[in-house]
Amino acid sequence: MPFVAATRSLGRAGLFSLSVFRASKPTPDFFKELVREIYKIGARSLPIIAVGGAFVGLSVTLLGYRALETYGATAQVSALLGLGMYRELGPVLTALLFIGRAGSSIAAELGLMRATDQITALGLMAIDPVGKAVAPRFWAAVICVPLLTGFFCSFAITASYFESVHVIGLDAGTFWQVLKDSVDFVDDFLMALVKSAVFGGTAALVASYVGFHAEPTIEGTSVATTRAVVNASLLVLMFNFVMSAFLFR
Amino acid sequence: MSIRAPRIEFAVGAFLLLALGSLLVLALASTNGRWGLGSDTYPLTARFSTIGALRPNAPIKIGGVAVGHVDKIDVDPVKFDTVVTLAVNKRYDKLPADTAASILTSGLLGESYINLAPGGDPDSLKPGDEIYLTQSAVDLIQLVGKYMFSGGGAKPADNAGQAADPSADVPDYLKGDAAPTDETKSK
Repeated sequence: MPFVAATRSLGRAGLFSLSVFRASKPTPDFFKELVREIYKIGARSLPIIAVGGAFVGLSVTLLGYRALETYGATAQVSALLGLGMYRELGPVLTALLFIGRAGSSIAAELGLMRATDQITALGLMAIDPVGKAVAPRFWAAVICVPLLTGFFCSFAITASYFESVHVIGLDAGTFWQVLKDSVDFVDDFLMALVKSAVFGGTAALVASYVGFHAEPTIEGTSVATTRAVVNASLLVLMFNFVMSAFLFR
Repeated sequence: MSIRAPRIEFAVGAFLLLALGSLLVLALASTNGRWGLGSDTYPLTARFSTIGALRPNAPIKIGGVAVGHVDKIDVDPVKFDTVVTLAVNKRYDKLPADTAASILTSGLLGESYINLAPGGDPDSLKPGDEIYLTQSAVDLIQLVGKYMFSGGGAKPADNAGQAADPSADVPDYLKGDAAPTDETKSK
């Protein structure tokens, strides 16, 4: 009965997501945990996002310059960069880096809490383990990933500016004007933030679900970490296609 | 509350400030600044028989300067011509009533845009008005095709001494009643 088992595990994941929303109450303790999680998974992810964004911006600039040179349209390289960054690359790559940097640590932490019976102990003390351990991580991810996407895009655009103006030799005014003309505030910029909030929530839910239900052994923790990264990355890539198909006609 | 490490609080605060600041700079420096709330444009409509490659969000220009964008494109269900709704910046609300709209292409392969040529009418267009003087998109490929197939039809030897007969290019099956007379002439 593989089909029944698959449906049941999907239902368990859905119920778990629901219990995360139900356990999110704005108590002082919740905000204390939230601040700590924003520091751990948001602020500490900044270097990897900045370096990643800068190098992605550089390579997209080189690629776009090479492709547009054929048509003599090299001035449009910033349109390609802006649309590519906001629509696809920014949200997706930020989410993937975030999964590798923070999703794995969420799964490992919760898996270890399970292995060392801390989750059971919280339950025994009549503290909801989902509300205490999962909800702050989920909301921290929903808040942080859009902000990190903003960093990713700004580093990419800055790096691309230096590449195309100071190395390739395009005109600086054209670079900014073409970028401004082609990127729409609502359709591209806001949608990038919406997309990354969804990706952040997905990544955190998958990671915490896998960690929360890990086998209470050392090996179970490592399996949970691997599964969190693999499943969350695949889900983000699939969601990205679905959202792109609906958002950008 | 007070046992929270102040270092973490400062780090989170700095992170959030930095992030929101960079989002603000991005929004100002890299988008077209159409915030989506409280539009600063007013609508005008124009009818064209064909719009070529014109798409929504294409720019509207007066003398090469962008003054708005194409809001939406519809086909009139009765007359079957395309109705283009233009969103023109409110700064340019004194457009004369005899302003002409034409669909042009920037460069040989560039994007389509709508060019407005203001006339001299003392009355001005009000929001929702229709621009009556329009010029549809020019299909370059069709023009090239017409030129090629109309110029190469007759051989130079045939009409060396006489004026070109316009009916020489018309195929026989299109001539209808004229065809028999053509045959008798050649016999």
